[in-house]
Amino acid sequence: MMMMTIYRGIALLVLLLVGHAMFRERDFWKQVTGVLVLVPLILRILLVK
Amino acid sequence: MFKKLSGTPLSALVLVLLSGVVALVTGKSFSAMHTLDPLVPAPGFERHMLSEWFAPLRDTPGDTPVYIQRGSEPGGTVLVMGGTHPNEPAGTLTAVVLLERARINRGRLIVIPFANRSAFTCNDPQEGAPQSFSLRCADGSFRVFRYGSRATNPVDQWPDPDVYLHPQSGQQLSGRERSNLNRAHPGTPQGPLTLQVAYALRRLLQEEKVDLAFDLHEASPEYPVVNAVVAHERAQELAAMVAMELEGLSIAIRIEPSPKNLRGLTHREWGDATETLAVLMETANPSQGRLRGRTDEALVLSGRDKCYARAMELGRLFINYSGDQTLDLRVARHTAAVKSFLENLGLLYPEKTVVMEEVPGFEELLARGVGAFLSPLSRDHGSR
Repeated sequence: MMMMTIYRGIALLVLLLVGHAMFRERDFWKQVTGVLVLVPLILRILLVK
Repeated sequence: MFKKLSGTPLSALVLVLLSGVVALVTGKSFSAMHTLDPLVPAPGFERHMLSEWFAPLRDTPGDTPVYIQRGSEPGGTVLVMGGTHPNEPAGTLTAVVLLERARINRGRLIVIPFANRSAFTCNDPQEGAPQSFSLRCADGSFRVFRYGSRATNPVDQWPDPDVYLHPQSGQQLSGRERSNLNRAHPGTPQGPLTLQVAYALRRLLQEEKVDLAFDLHEASPEYPVVNAVVAHERAQELAAMVAMELEGLSIAIRIEPSPKNLRGLTHREWGDATETLAVLMETANPSQGRLRGRTDEALVLSGRDKCYARAMELGRLFINYSGDQTLDLRVARHTAAVKSFLENLGLLYPEKTVVMEEVPGFEELLARGVGAFLSPLSRDHGSR
């Protein structure tokens, strides 16, 4: 259980960092790349996939 | 390749919202994998849950339906279990055919179609396996069945250790095997989900006084233990009678003794830990083999693969592969063997007789196909 909590915590941290980077990014296509990273992270945090 | 476009905080916000929408849609699709395939049990079956034999499993991904039919006359008790490995569909489908067709006149039949329920909710990584396959029923409608994984879903049991120590014997296996139900027997009441499912199955065998138990599998055609019955030493006399009967019907089958030093498997642990006669059966499934080419629904259903045809020419297979190995044939083999075991059980142990009717025979299944013996779903069929 503790491992799972740590895992979800890491996934959430990475999600926030990617989100933050997207708002600072000035290239639209790199922002799109960020979205591709966000989707699986959201699914992992919710333990859907 | 792409035109240079500037990103702004607004475009980032829109994209973040878009990622949420995509996660919602795909999440709904992934969540649907947790819904069991609908079943239509034959009249007389009562639906139970495995957690009735081990309460901590209740409301966990390991809890799975258990169907019981009692005959009008007393007799023995037989368990047929499919779905230990959901990437071996003939095992699951044989249990489903029995569940949807069998009428028990004497004794009791217990059917567990989805033994490792969690493993039905995912696929094995990098195998390219199809998500599902469908079979045509007699009325032209289709029944869809999930093609799952060999192992418990990592969402339900994670992480795997580097080395898996079988709790009772200390046997060392690859860490991934801790998620394999057929390395978890006889199970433990605490610990990972897979071990708890195995423990619940042991409790069921003991409390229901199961006389004969089947664990139905498939294996790669290049694997030596295929088209085979693996029997615990107490079940070998019965298995020998069945093998002779099947050979008489031109159904080639070999008997393998359950190895004493290979632990965690049903044929060893059920036989040692309970009074049951434990039997594991294997048919040949090219869609899970290492030599296969394109892996899709057609391969699951037909077993037709040119790589296996070539392997046959080179003498590398342990079956007589004549270009295909249909799911109908594989289910027919399992079904014929189960029926033969029940008949011979009554000959060896008359007080343990189980009389089962309405289940199609080998030739019928081959001629009409498995789908013809599955009940069409009506609109109100959810997962029963």
